[in-house]
Amino acid sequence: MRNLLDFIAKYNHWFLFILLEVTSFALLFQYNSYQGSVWLSSANVVAGKVYEWNSSVEQFFSLTHVNKELMLRNFYLERQVNQLRAQVYDITKDTTSVQRNKLQMLSQYHLIPAKVISNSVNRNDNFITLDKGSDDGIKSDMGVVCGNGVVGIVYLVSKHYSIVIPALNPKSNISCSIRGRGYFGYLHWSGGPSQQAFVDDIPRHAHFKLGDWIITSGYSSVFPAGVLVGKILQAYNSHDGLSYRLKVQLSTDFGNLRDVCVVDEPDIKERVLLLNAAKDSLKQKSNY
Amino acid sequence: MTIDILKRSLAFIVLCLAQALVFNHIHLFDCATPLLYVYLVMLFRRNTSRWSILLWSFFLGLSVDMFANTPGVAAASLTFIGLIQPYILDLFMLQDSDDDFEPGLKSMGGDRFFYYVLILDLLYNIVFFTLETFNFFNWIQWLECIGGSTIITVILILVIENLRKK
Repeated sequence: MRNLLDFIAKYNHWFLFILLEVTSFALLFQYNSYQGSVWLSSANVVAGKVYEWNSSVEQFFSLTHVNKELMLRNFYLERQVNQLRAQVYDITKDTTSVQRNKLQMLSQYHLIPAKVISNSVNRNDNFITLDKGSDDGIKSDMGVVCGNGVVGIVYLVSKHYSIVIPALNPKSNISCSIRGRGYFGYLHWSGGPSQQAFVDDIPRHAHFKLGDWIITSGYSSVFPAGVLVGKILQAYNSHDGLSYRLKVQLSTDFGNLRDVCVVDEPDIKERVLLLNAAKDSLKQKSNY
Repeated sequence: MTIDILKRSLAFIVLCLAQALVFNHIHLFDCATPLLYVYLVMLFRRNTSRWSILLWSFFLGLSVDMFANTPGVAAASLTFIGLIQPYILDLFMLQDSDDDFEPGLKSMGGDRFFYYVLILDLLYNIVFFTLETFNFFNWIQWLECIGGSTIITVILILVIENLRKK
């Protein structure tokens, strides 16, 4: 017994080393599956506060640029609305239909404005931290958009902060389609430049042009349909040759992301429940 | 003793914040990121108890992980560096140095200190980037990251040592 105690006392640092390494590796491997680990991420109180201070300073210096960008986008959209309104009027002779449709479309969604307090674009696993959390009504799996397009999906939520998996993360998987043509696929990113991503699973018979816009399809029930994703740069064949793989220039500037909106769709719960019920009933059928 | 702990806690906080707010945003040539916090582990005196080195490095790694959303990566690699630091320090020490010998540019001389920092930092970067790119392996990028980060971190540490010497 005494020898054993001596042994442990002499080599105590080795035991401590092994204990700490096991803890680290447990954290490393559990992070992606374990929702409770939010307190060890940048969504906890200390890290969140520090990043909040930092971003409020940075924000001050980038306001001019952001303002300019928003103004341009605003101008562009306003012109588009005017054009479309004229077209609708030509066809229907109804001056209020556009206004009515717009209100109807927006009433479905509840937008929660949030600020980005930490962000990365150069790593393999990029994450974004927002300054709003469950207290502000954010739940995991909500969509996040910004003025220029799609950003990502909420992953972990703490009381006052939340972590978003942006489109620039290999784990992100956003359903999108080609604007005006309807074919849909999935947005993926596998490292590399932060301005480009890929849309997989576009069917072989799809017709599209380089430079066509990619928008969210609305199938994933996370984003409303029609949020901008990016422009088609190039088309490749997929590895198995069964579909196209499109290289997309993302419309969101992830390197300069400040103000975003979290999309809260009240219907989402019902749609997810229905989808799961359908999956379950299919599983049961296949068991018979 | 208490002064020592206070000093180290201050260095802990400063290094942590510097890493989170400044160095994590630096990606020279798309690969070189300074990982300066290893510096804290390099400065442990010779007679510091092993378990305290391990605990300090583990919690420093954990805090850095917390800010960078890489749970466990820096903690695991920094704990490893905490384990081997005393052995590496023994290699580069003069035979007749004191028991509470403090590693530094002044006490070790330029050459020895440079190699001491280089070896510890290289080992740290190898472990760190191996763990980080675990699921996503790209040899060239891995080597570039290790090389770039080691060079830039060693330069930074030497600069800071030089400033502290005066």
